[in-house]
Amino acid sequence: MTTAQERAGLLDELGLDAQNKAALGQVLGTGTIGQATERSDGRMEATVRIRPDEISWDPSILVMPHGGDLELELINDDLNTHCALLPSNGDRKFIWLVNHSRGKAHLNLDGPGYYWFSSPTGNDEGRGLTGAIVVLGDVPPEARLDRPNQPRP
Amino acid sequence: MTVEYVDAGEAIDQGNLSGKVPGGDVAPPVVRDVGYERILNARSEPQNWLTYYGAYNGQRYSPLDQINTENVNRIGPAWVFQAGTTGIIAGASTYSFEAAPIVVDGIMFLAGWDGWVWALDAKTGVEIWRYKHAVPFDVSLCCGNVNRGVAVAAGKVFVVTANAHVLALDATTGKRVWDRTYGDVRAGESATVAPLIVKDKVVVGSSGGEFGVRGHLDAFDLESGEHQWRCYMVPKPGEPGSDTWPSDGEAWARGGANCWITATFDQETNLLYVGTGNPAPDFDGAVREGDNLYTDSIVAVDADAGQIRWHYQCTPHDVWDYDSIGECILFESDGRKLLGHFDKNGYLFVVDRTNGELVQITPFVDRITWGAITRDGQVTAKVYPDEEGVPVHFYPGPAGAKEWTHAAYSPKTGLFYVPVQDVGATATRRRREFKESIPYWGAGVQVDIEDMTGSISAFDANGDERWRWRNELPMCASVLATGGDLVFAGEPTGEFNALDARTGELLWQFQCGSGHHSNPTTYMVDGRQYIAVPVGWGAWSEGFLPGMLGAGHGSALITFALPETS
Repeated sequence: MTTAQERAGLLDELGLDAQNKAALGQVLGTGTIGQATERSDGRMEATVRIRPDEISWDPSILVMPHGGDLELELINDDLNTHCALLPSNGDRKFIWLVNHSRGKAHLNLDGPGYYWFSSPTGNDEGRGLTGAIVVLGDVPPEARLDRPNQPRP
Repeated sequence: MTVEYVDAGEAIDQGNLSGKVPGGDVAPPVVRDVGYERILNARSEPQNWLTYYGAYNGQRYSPLDQINTENVNRIGPAWVFQAGTTGIIAGASTYSFEAAPIVVDGIMFLAGWDGWVWALDAKTGVEIWRYKHAVPFDVSLCCGNVNRGVAVAAGKVFVVTANAHVLALDATTGKRVWDRTYGDVRAGESATVAPLIVKDKVVVGSSGGEFGVRGHLDAFDLESGEHQWRCYMVPKPGEPGSDTWPSDGEAWARGGANCWITATFDQETNLLYVGTGNPAPDFDGAVREGDNLYTDSIVAVDADAGQIRWHYQCTPHDVWDYDSIGECILFESDGRKLLGHFDKNGYLFVVDRTNGELVQITPFVDRITWGAITRDGQVTAKVYPDEEGVPVHFYPGPAGAKEWTHAAYSPKTGLFYVPVQDVGATATRRRREFKESIPYWGAGVQVDIEDMTGSISAFDANGDERWRWRNELPMCASVLATGGDLVFAGEPTGEFNALDARTGELLWQFQCGSGHHSNPTTYMVDGRQYIAVPVGWGAWSEGFLPGMLGAGHGSALITFALPETS
């Protein structure tokens, strides 16, 4: 058993912090976490990148403070070509990311909940290039049930 | 030396990478003139399928008769639309293709699982546009990532999403016009229903009855999306019906009664007829003593005011998960305005739709052990999970003698055609504390994996069974009746069947490659009749047919037609 504080050390010890050590790829959910920043107009922005030979999004879990519009910068610092398929209301957004490239995506997401994004080429998704966008917050007051506040887990 | 990044540009819509030709992504404005009047008279334009049931009466009947008992053995696939799946989606193991394809003047509007909506050329199957709503991976879904279809009117396509939004899309481009949230995903609410257009409103209901929510029906303005009314299906303390809930505590606040299947509508009574879902917790009745109105009920709601005018409860104090969400089919007999409803509890209810007065009750499945209902409506519960930790076996199981999938009624033959599931289950009561967003069943449930059967059964308005087409497995898909004296019905094992509407004889069959759990419809383009059936097994199959849990999902819409003559 382990504790949250020991997580990084145990990932390293077990070889789960890189591709082709313990597993073949980078196990989903073992990457970094980061937060989008909010502009004065409520729109949000963030950057995710792929570092050389890490086959993982950095951050692999991106947290938005609430639902709405996100301007996402995507950077591929890897020495191989990848791409990105991203959730957004209307249609999913797709972008090629050749070696050493940088691009943008404009996303619109509802909150609360979380969404997967990935690099849908070869088996990038299974090798580690699958990340999550977590949207915090609650639904609008008018959408909530007319009842007393209920216990939550 | 710093090397400049290659400019990758901006991410584009994935749909732009789907072989569309310039200008091919805009549909003709066929929905611009669709409105209340046309939907009221939907069956006067049989080439179209304008609304979920084909008409407000819920009959799922088309007068088209080009394909008929004499020639149905010559129909074959006209085209196939393969939706496919990519990426990681909510309910990846439970998605199912359940929609009723809507067709207007040669354009088909179709909803899939996980927020998909498509406009297709109904003659060729070519995709014109697509809309994809981003559905949270962690959204609460009791029974699968599913959606039962769209509504169309006023140049727009209306659809709900699994995270409880209702959307209006431009019917020519698929672009979002308005978007309203009408459920709380943190409370376990979701949405799966096909919207219904009534006058200047779009009417939708909520899902989430397995999570201890309070079910409701909502109406929004077609043009602006402004909320018009909400009708809760569990009364608050002091409201009519509240005396059917414990007077202390908050059982009512978690009481269920979700409206997750589309209502029918009668212009003359101005009433929506909607079936409500199970009470919560499903199997632990001791925490909610009383009849628990308006759960498991046929409820008549004033379409303008959004208020309940009458109700008929099919299973008072349900502890078997017998939602009454099944369709309310409107028909006339001996001059009376009636409503027929096949309930999960195994009985066909015929009710006077002007006032909710019971006309007759008839069992439509062979094995009913949970209890009995007399012809005058007296309910006696016999077998139910009332002792903690003690298994109880009963028929029908919690998916019901008929699940949500719809019966049809042919005014030509005067017969109802119902897909029957004859399968039992064992429930063992396990009380649990209520916590928002966590399933609130109050039992462990295992549906039988052996000793099951099914049928398409034909009943007349008196409740007399006229014929039965038997199947080894339960029948879990909606039925379509046509003026060609045909009844179309899909099997869980993939066969799509055409039966003689007067005798039940199997006249034609096609193996579609995946089980059926959807709403086939029919339409005509350029003088050629098509039968359209979404094919994609899934959803709550552990509830209605656990023996088919391992079957492939599929994600195709297949259309059938007679050979072209040239």
